[in-house]
Amino acid sequence: MKGDEVTREQTPAKPRGLRAVGHGIDVARDWWEHAKIWQRYLVYIALVVGALILPAPAIGTFMSPGSDWTTVLVYPIGTYILLAVGLNVVVGQAGLLDLGFVAFFAIGGYSVAYYGTQYGWTYWATVAFGIILAAVSGVILGAPTLRLRGDYLAIVTLGFGEIVRITANNTDEIGGARGITGIPHPPPVFGMKFVLDPAPYYYLIVAAIVLVIIFSVRLQKSRVGRAWAAIREDEDAAELMGVPTFKFKLLAFAIGAMIGGLAGGIYAGKAVFIEPNTFPFILSATILAAVVLGGSGNLPGVILGAFLIGWLPERFREFADFRILVFGGVLVLMMALRPEGLLPSRRRKAELHEGTGGMGTMGAEVPGPDADVSTTEAAK
Amino acid sequence: MLLEIKDIHVHYGKIAAIKGISLEVNEGEIVSLIGANGAGKTTTLKTVSGLRPLSSGSIVFDGQDISRLAGHKRVQLGIGQSPEGRGVFPGMTVQENLLMGAYTRKDDLSADLAEVYELFPRLAERKSQFGGTMSGGEQQMVAIGRALMTKPKVLLLDEPSMGLAPMLIAQIFDIIKEINRRGTTVLLVEQNAQQALKLSDRAYVLETGRVVKSAPGPELLDDPQVRAAYLGGH
Repeated sequence: MKGDEVTREQTPAKPRGLRAVGHGIDVARDWWEHAKIWQRYLVYIALVVGALILPAPAIGTFMSPGSDWTTVLVYPIGTYILLAVGLNVVVGQAGLLDLGFVAFFAIGGYSVAYYGTQYGWTYWATVAFGIILAAVSGVILGAPTLRLRGDYLAIVTLGFGEIVRITANNTDEIGGARGITGIPHPPPVFGMKFVLDPAPYYYLIVAAIVLVIIFSVRLQKSRVGRAWAAIREDEDAAELMGVPTFKFKLLAFAIGAMIGGLAGGIYAGKAVFIEPNTFPFILSATILAAVVLGGSGNLPGVILGAFLIGWLPERFREFADFRILVFGGVLVLMMALRPEGLLPSRRRKAELHEGTGGMGTMGAEVPGPDADVSTTEAAK
Repeated sequence: MLLEIKDIHVHYGKIAAIKGISLEVNEGEIVSLIGANGAGKTTTLKTVSGLRPLSSGSIVFDGQDISRLAGHKRVQLGIGQSPEGRGVFPGMTVQENLLMGAYTRKDDLSADLAEVYELFPRLAERKSQFGGTMSGGEQQMVAIGRALMTKPKVLLLDEPSMGLAPMLIAQIFDIIKEINRRGTTVLLVEQNAQQALKLSDRAYVLETGRVVKSAPGPELLDDPQVRAAYLGGH
């Protein structure tokens, strides 16, 4: 098995506090790496069953005493998770910093709202079209800008998010600043009627999340996923390995955008009403925070991060005006204590703790005390 | 002639980094580029592998003009590079790094993988260690091994001795000689002029983006000007 001989930091005999948490995660990860197929499927089934009973009132009274728990589960929590899994393709897998992800959420939402109200398209057609539109706009944004790197790309994507919002604000055809009202709900599925009860929407969003997770995991394990990992870790080196870096970055943008568009479509189907301010910059920042907080690149971490970011402000509602302050404090504390995120992948840890080599030290590093001596000895 | 660079100019923004360099590399040779910081050695290599665009001039590889070809396509033609600063993928294991080198290949890799592990026994011991946790010397081995996995006709090496202990430098140069003996042409960029010249069939001395001298390696070793400028003069 891969990873068997991977050297890890030494864990002390009796880990305490946060370190115990980290240790527990390592144990769980080891178990998972060696788990049999049926064991893994049991876990998957348990997770899906868990997700389905999550809206239960008994859980809700603790999780969300101030507002309706199922509604909170649809938005923000479920929607954030969907968005975070999408943004994770761009930021976590391909390593491209995107600060305007909300644009694709908006494009999906507006597609459902506009084509549903103006042309009477069926809900699913509008969602599908929204996903396509989002992908196309991802390519349109990416083609001229993906030659930029790091901070520069972040600034351009930030601008794109704002451009989409302001354009919506100034385009009367799609309602301008007043937005669009009377967005049709999805048609019934398996006898579930989508009206005011949030439960059907919750099941819909769980289904979407499961699909998107499967899609994302398949991608990560494919040739495409390997190319993204290489681009994220060293773009020049990836090109030197024969990876068409530009093409793959564009693909990451398009796929991330599609997932964002899907989230927007589902959101609009429940919300009935959207306006430009439904899609503010702060939402892009929030989703990015979810990805980074959870452990960029590691799906379980990203989902956990999105859950916490969606849930904590609701849980802190009793603090009224102070809740965002408390929320911010919790975020700062978490990043100070676990800078790689709550659940980073081992690979990601290695990237962030890049030993003695790499560009960080401009090549002038001093090799580890024993490393080079033992190297020369081994070769004799 | 395997590689011919004809009067190339390269700019970073408005600043000219290379002002008309011409050089050639014949099949089976080891050719070195030596010179001080900022002479344009690394930029020349990056231009050959396609990481930097040309402003003018042309590059012909194996009879084909590759001046406008994308970097990832040049790999498939047979240009392999170990980049400046090594560029090892820190979150991939040694083996995964080597397999990235074979990203575009569809043929059987086992023989080539075995050969890399034979050249670098150290890497065989550390197959499943993350690239980012290795020492500088080991990372250099990964970078060279990974470039070999692309099955290059010409291997471009950017400062393979940078930051390494003296003993390890000697070892890396021995391995470069061995790689060449097995049939791979090598274009080497080095600040460690002494070692590079000893090893090279021919060498070019670069100064501020121009070739100021070219001659067989050992001849340059005895050249008084080169000795004074790059070999600590005696």
